[in-house]
Amino acid sequence: MSEMAAASAGSPMPRRRRRRRIRPFRLFMHAMLVVVVVVADFPLAWIVVTALKPDQEIARYPPTLIPNTFTLDNFENLFRISPFASYLTNSIIVATGATFLTVVLGTLAAYSFARFHYRFLHGIGELSLFAYMVPPILVLVPIAQVITALGLANNLASLMVLYTAILLPFALWVLRSYFLGYTLDLEQAAMVDGCTRFGAFRRVVIPQAMPGLISTAVFTFNAAWSEYLFASTLMSTPKTLTLSPGLALLLNQTGVYSWGILMAASVIVVMPVIILFIIAQRQLVSGLGAGAVKG
Amino acid sequence: MLAAAGRLRANGLSDRQLAFIFVLPAAILLVMFAVYPFAVAAYNGFFNINFITGARTWDGLANYADVLGNADIRAAFVRSVIWTVANLVVQTTLGLAIALLLNAELRGQTIARGLVLFPYMVPAIVAALVFRYMFNDVVGIVDYLLQSSGITSEPLEFLASPQLVLWTLIIVNCWKYTPFMVIVFLARLQTVPHELIDAGAIDGAGRFSTFRYIILPWLRPVLLVAMLLRTIWTANDFDIPYLLAFGGPLQASTTVPLKIQALAFSQRDIGLASSLAVCVAILLVVASYFYLRSYRHHEQEVA
Repeated sequence: MSEMAAASAGSPMPRRRRRRRIRPFRLFMHAMLVVVVVVADFPLAWIVVTALKPDQEIARYPPTLIPNTFTLDNFENLFRISPFASYLTNSIIVATGATFLTVVLGTLAAYSFARFHYRFLHGIGELSLFAYMVPPILVLVPIAQVITALGLANNLASLMVLYTAILLPFALWVLRSYFLGYTLDLEQAAMVDGCTRFGAFRRVVIPQAMPGLISTAVFTFNAAWSEYLFASTLMSTPKTLTLSPGLALLLNQTGVYSWGILMAASVIVVMPVIILFIIAQRQLVSGLGAGAVKG
Repeated sequence: MLAAAGRLRANGLSDRQLAFIFVLPAAILLVMFAVYPFAVAAYNGFFNINFITGARTWDGLANYADVLGNADIRAAFVRSVIWTVANLVVQTTLGLAIALLLNAELRGQTIARGLVLFPYMVPAIVAALVFRYMFNDVVGIVDYLLQSSGITSEPLEFLASPQLVLWTLIIVNCWKYTPFMVIVFLARLQTVPHELIDAGAIDGAGRFSTFRYIILPWLRPVLLVAMLLRTIWTANDFDIPYLLAFGGPLQASTTVPLKIQALAFSQRDIGLASSLAVCVAILLVVASYFYLRSYRHHEQEVA
């Protein structure tokens, strides 16, 4: 921190002094950065390495850091011994649907919260804060009872709507801070130029809030893709199982002897969200950060 | 949405009507999936409920008395407090340190930012699987590294020992969620006004004073909000503890959410499970009240 400050102050005197004093510290910081990256990413690398090893090599002790033999057997076996393809399809349907619904409904409501000041809006805002604090485990039993009574258990659409409801408070919180930002003046300018309110909303407000929309979408998708508790309670037939409960089932079925298959499944589950994250990284940091800052 | 737009042009909806239409679907979902089930759960807390028939028998405050008196529940509560506080302390401290590190203009900073944030995206089931493998006391690489480097002589039973399991879960949870803190702090750090730092430098502020008197106060509002969110999420977290250890061994990793689930689905005592969950919700509301009061207090100080 202080070096940046000294550099921008920019007189030659402190700069010379700075060089002698700070070098070892910067070296230390680089070393720490390497440590942090290794700790953060070693488990991910270990998933990939193990998934590519044959069973005999996985059982070998000490473990090999780089596979002696590369194989795709684990992936083949995964699809052979379990309905993994069906878990995958179900998760794609549910997560995509829930993301779409959350972003659309969240955008409309958050815009309304940011723009208008009516008492009922304030009430609904408090409501969503409340919904955010309700422990999921508390509402699990009543929700399960209602969904089962309506004959909607083992139904992907009901899981999709449930996820939308659960993720809406977070979406509202991030998106509202985006609309509160600097879009109001631009919106009014567009309306003065003859746009309808909806035209201004579509042409001016939405593009301005894009980083917020993207980060909301990525986090919603990730949460729906990962969810275990509700999915495992509401989905019981193999046909409707999603990835998380499906994998938990696989863990119980295969026991501890097939780490290769379990890691192969992990590779497939984690890949889409990591790719999504890489694509949207910049928006994520600014989107979530803004949400937290303006709360 | 298009239909709404068409009507908008035709009839010229008032702002009030527009606001209402926009907010209605979200409000309906919140009522259906948060308010209604919460009310049902709160109501259930006063009853003895037959799991099969769903028949309710009025039980007064018996469930609540049970929550306070039951030794198992008290043990789960103590575990939950350890779990929440340890997670919060580690994640906040580490998150702050890593955010500063990632904002220090080091070489490879852009790539490092992406790499450090990856764990946050990893689904709980995947984290559970890989750490079950890595912390396995027979084939796990962590025990191999600890033993071959001479740090331990015996393999540690990270997930099989009742003394260690909760701490293992805390390590895994910190691995997954510290990046959330990093994201929030990093975004805020990027907005520190340069004038402030320059002014500090002119006044002769060193690295520590710059951090203590400029950076930390600047981070404080997001620090509080992020800590509030993490407190709620961590206290309510079910997936990571459950998928890593299923509450065992010997209930040593049964935190309150796992206890609630066990009460409801294994012991089939929905009334007791509901009253315990209501107690947790009340505690969280009280905790957030204190966070928010501190936040508003700070805002007033600034204004």
